[in-house]
Amino acid sequence: MKWRRRVAVIGTGQTVHARKRDDVSQQEMVREAARRALADAEMTARDIDAVVIANMELFEGRALPELWCAEGAAGAGKPVLKIATGGTSGTSGAIAGALQVASGMFDTVLVVGFEKQSEGQTTAGMALTDPMWDRHVASAAIGNFALSISQYMAARGVTEEQAARVAVKARRNAARNPYAHLQQPGLTVEQVLASSVLAWPVHMLEMCPTSDGACALVYAAEDVARRKCATPAWVRAVATRHDQPYIGDLDMRLLTMRTLRSAAREAYAQAGITEPLKQLDVAEIYEPVSYAELAWYEALGFCPEGEAGRLIEDGVTAMDGELPVNPSGGVLSTNPIGASGVIRTAEAALQIHGKGDTRQVDGASLALVTGYGVYAWSDVLILSSDPG
Amino acid sequence: MPQPLLRVQALLDLTWRYSAGSHFTRFFQALKDDGVILALRCPACRRVYLPPRPVCGNCFRRMEEWVPVGPRGTLRAFTVVHFPFLDPTTGQPRPVPFGMGLIQLDGADTTLNHYLDETDLGRLRLGLRVEAVFREPREGNMGDIRLFRVLAP
Repeated sequence: MKWRRRVAVIGTGQTVHARKRDDVSQQEMVREAARRALADAEMTARDIDAVVIANMELFEGRALPELWCAEGAAGAGKPVLKIATGGTSGTSGAIAGALQVASGMFDTVLVVGFEKQSEGQTTAGMALTDPMWDRHVASAAIGNFALSISQYMAARGVTEEQAARVAVKARRNAARNPYAHLQQPGLTVEQVLASSVLAWPVHMLEMCPTSDGACALVYAAEDVARRKCATPAWVRAVATRHDQPYIGDLDMRLLTMRTLRSAAREAYAQAGITEPLKQLDVAEIYEPVSYAELAWYEALGFCPEGEAGRLIEDGVTAMDGELPVNPSGGVLSTNPIGASGVIRTAEAALQIHGKGDTRQVDGASLALVTGYGVYAWSDVLILSSDPG
Repeated sequence: MPQPLLRVQALLDLTWRYSAGSHFTRFFQALKDDGVILALRCPACRRVYLPPRPVCGNCFRRMEEWVPVGPRGTLRAFTVVHFPFLDPTTGQPRPVPFGMGLIQLDGADTTLNHYLDETDLGRLRLGLRVEAVFREPREGNMGDIRLFRVLAP
């Protein structure tokens, strides 16, 4: 990837996320996040050149969010682009916004991701899959994950206790994030394993929730960024990988996850990262289910294959560990789908801005972001306090 | 007390008509007429694909060579689902529990996600032999493969 010029995140903002945000319409919810991101960047709507909206409109059953929500996203009279790539919508939107500035097309871009899952039927949206084949053999996101997890457990020897620890870490971290949906500071491994089984081996408390919420971030080109922001979060790398369509094409999905491995390899090369566990200060990764986080540790090169369980047991990825993963509480705690990837990116930028408050990782200057969508799509971004 | 805010309900009942294309047309015809599961082989990488599709994603080559696969295969992944999700073919929650597997049909390189006739975890393990159970009479769509039966070891 050739970068014409530097681009940085200079402001972030998000709504309080909850099972149901009945107190606001979609437009109001989007505006809530956009307004906070603009305020954080010390900008007004007039300062924004273009807008990217990330949303899976199928889940709300309301077409054209770039029409109905653009006013709330400061998009009226401006170029507005919508991105809808399942779980990766938010990170794909964040990547699109960064490239719009890096290419020289615009000086400032506002990226807003949102989902209001309580308004519609997310499972019905997911059921509108390939009508020839997939609809007859569907088992929703949980069933599909569970299938892949059975292979991952058998090959790596990961235990149910180790996976439960991921959920405990996420919800405890979320308790220090005032915007997070599921905040469970006292959650224990025993409680996770005692919760109902959705699809073996996945328990209720180790799957992501369905959330309403929005998140926004402001990108600026170098001259604007240096003027407006004391500690810009420079975008040092972006990479996206899609893959073949059917779940059965992607045998050993969690085990191999070729999209995430390939995207991470490319992003690490762009950013000069050779030892991710040592060099990265913080990571915000898209973990829709506990076991996925363990699989991503391996795919992202945090540990050799088979050692992800040890990483979580030893607290390496805890808030006080060598590489804190998801200080925000992650997708396991908050999942407004179109927003989830923007939240990952905004939370990583927040760490570099030093505005993490009770979830701040001291001195965070190099941050990893990942997105995960559909069966096996992957996005990776790397943000840094060093413009490179 | 502020006035409670409204929620507005909407209901849709619509019909879509999708083109199956030549590959699914041939696949469904063989399934209906002969009870045979057909897959497509890539001329470049030789990978045998199920579901059939016109192009190999890895090689970007058109696939024309049909290969009969199954009806027996090997269980490569499994779960038992307890969460009643919406069945896209009926619009109703699917009765739980039910078994699901990724099945590698004999002769195929990809796996097929499908239902199992077993919901006892103690009887499920990777590597089990399974066999497709067909709906009778067959209608020429994916519903013709009802589920996979776990074969005695």
